[in-house]
Amino acid sequence: MNRTVSKIFHSIASLRFAVLLLVLIACYIVIGTLIPQHSSPEWYQEAYPTAGSLIIMLSLDSAYSSPIFIVLVGLFAMNLTSCTILSLKGQVRQAKDNYFPPFTASDQIIDGVTEDAIIHYCKKKRFTVSKDKETGTCKAGKFRWGILGAAITHVGILVLFVGGVVGNMVATEDVVSLLPGNEVSFAEQGFVLRLDDFYMTFEEGGAVKQYISEVTMINDDGTERTETLWVNNPLSHNGIKAYQASFGWTGNLRITDNTTDEVLVEGLLRSGRTYFHQNSHLTIYLYDYYPEMAIGHDQNPVSLSNREINPYYAVILYEFGNPVGSYIIEPGDPITYNNLTLTFTHSIAYTGLLIRTDPSYPIVLTGFIIILLGMFVSFYCYPRFISYDSGRVTTSSRKNGWVFHNAVKLELSKISKTAKREE
Amino acid sequence: MESYQLVENVAFTVTFVVYIISAVLFLVHVSGITKKLERVAMLITLIGFLFHTVAMVVRTLGAGRLPFSNQYEFALSFGWGIVLSFLVLHKMYKFSSIGAFVMPLGILVMGYASLQSRAVRPLMPALQSHWLTFHVGTAILSYGAFALACGIAVIYIIDSKRTSEKRILKDPEISDILSYRVIVFGLLMLTIVIISGAIWAQKAWSRYWAWDPKETWSLITWIIYAIYLHLRLRRNWRGKAAAWFAIIGFISVLFTFVGVNILLPSIHSYAT
Repeated sequence: MNRTVSKIFHSIASLRFAVLLLVLIACYIVIGTLIPQHSSPEWYQEAYPTAGSLIIMLSLDSAYSSPIFIVLVGLFAMNLTSCTILSLKGQVRQAKDNYFPPFTASDQIIDGVTEDAIIHYCKKKRFTVSKDKETGTCKAGKFRWGILGAAITHVGILVLFVGGVVGNMVATEDVVSLLPGNEVSFAEQGFVLRLDDFYMTFEEGGAVKQYISEVTMINDDGTERTETLWVNNPLSHNGIKAYQASFGWTGNLRITDNTTDEVLVEGLLRSGRTYFHQNSHLTIYLYDYYPEMAIGHDQNPVSLSNREINPYYAVILYEFGNPVGSYIIEPGDPITYNNLTLTFTHSIAYTGLLIRTDPSYPIVLTGFIIILLGMFVSFYCYPRFISYDSGRVTTSSRKNGWVFHNAVKLELSKISKTAKREE
Repeated sequence: MESYQLVENVAFTVTFVVYIISAVLFLVHVSGITKKLERVAMLITLIGFLFHTVAMVVRTLGAGRLPFSNQYEFALSFGWGIVLSFLVLHKMYKFSSIGAFVMPLGILVMGYASLQSRAVRPLMPALQSHWLTFHVGTAILSYGAFALACGIAVIYIIDSKRTSEKRILKDPEISDILSYRVIVFGLLMLTIVIISGAIWAQKAWSRYWAWDPKETWSLITWIIYAIYLHLRLRRNWRGKAAAWFAIIGFISVLFTFVGVNILLPSIHSYAT
């Protein structure tokens, strides 16, 4: 039984299995980039008449959260864990100061070196040297602990996986649209967020330079904190993070009775939304708002920028569901329909804030740091060994033997030349 | 601004022409027609690199920021990274013949840059971050290293079919080792690229990873080189198999850089 378990464990930990999983994961995520994600099943059937059903069956329409992908990543995590555990014991043994590897055919030799020269080199390069007084042979090693680099990297990847799983389980995300003066309550976190102002700054050519939201957090204890957030400058408060994510326009719609000049309704209507005026059965659809309107190639209105320097509204009216008129009007221009006058007086931009809580991010950051540390140790602090016996130096380094050997050779030749000059 | 663009255009054109001349000289050198052109080719490469640097500096002065924000600017910087990697390798190991296979890659990338719009556009809000310099700067070093490794791998494959007298590098094992060491550096840089991008995305878009095609293809490239290193270190995969891996890895790099932008919709679409 134990033998079978051990065999399975070794198979899971094997490099062959790791490579197989990596290839499968790579292929799967390649497909995920080629097939548009998160569309409706009907769309896939229509777009891929022959493969649509297969795409849905294999969950390739949501490749990165599909059971197949989760199983592959889970198996890979098992592979990494078991492989790290299995190799760690040997690696810890090799990381100790007294470890010296057996010679192999790939080790390289430098002849005609004096003992003084090699001792000088080893001291200069901070090798730990041990000398056998009886035989006169020297053994030196450096960065023995570098053998742990791969294990450290593996641990970093596993920490990253843990962070990803925790994030998927507990992170929350929501988008709130706020006009200046609007508030949103975060009862759990004990505060209310109020948007004081939202505006855009512009480049010379009219492109948006930055979207800026000025907010105040009013805590349950009555204290207030005022902050400004913009893209790349999120806000953190009581465990939530708010990101400047989007924006939009609202037009101030005023409906007046022609006969009495009485303002019947006045309020903000978002671009792309409708307002139904019950008494007249009139639906007002603010199709779009063009802050800097121009006519495009297809003769349709377009906005050159978000600067309000030539503002126009595109409005469509419906009565009992039937279109009864469409208009392109400037702010203040009246639309008269039956006994009503409709006016869009001015516009106000609203901000879209993405509110996210993700306690897993510090875990992910830790994973990143461990991976980088592990890779650096693995690639640049790899173990190097030198042995000296009767004028013959043998260099050994599994990861970078040739470069290490030549570096030793070059340095020894310099030491030898200096010694000769001094003589 | 116009004077900056004029100088930049002249420097770019001179760089392009000089790189072509240098690549031709390197190819003549390695083809064995004459062995006297090596130093001239290196000198011309250096001159081209100086003009290339001038083009980058002038672009930086004209735009008021480092040239890292669109396809033209990144291709300009990528080409610079490739030639810089080659010059550093030459300085360290004196293997100038590699230029015959690396310079054409530099020309390819510069040719791609020449097809892109050179208009200086202001940075969109998401790009206004110090992470841009770090993220793209390390990408240039990483991609440059992978291009170099690819060039060396091509040399290995050619040399492996030749007799020792006709080889470009006397010992094919050296090109195998060099390719490996350059990939090691490239992979470390690519890891920094991915991690810095993730940290930046967390700050700008609220998520460190969103399976955007650019992110995903960077990960695929990372996986390819990670497999290469594991097979090499644990299974002693060397020689031709390793060389082909280095070439496939670089194809993935090119697809991440060019293919994703052209073929796949991405939140990195500003990089067009």
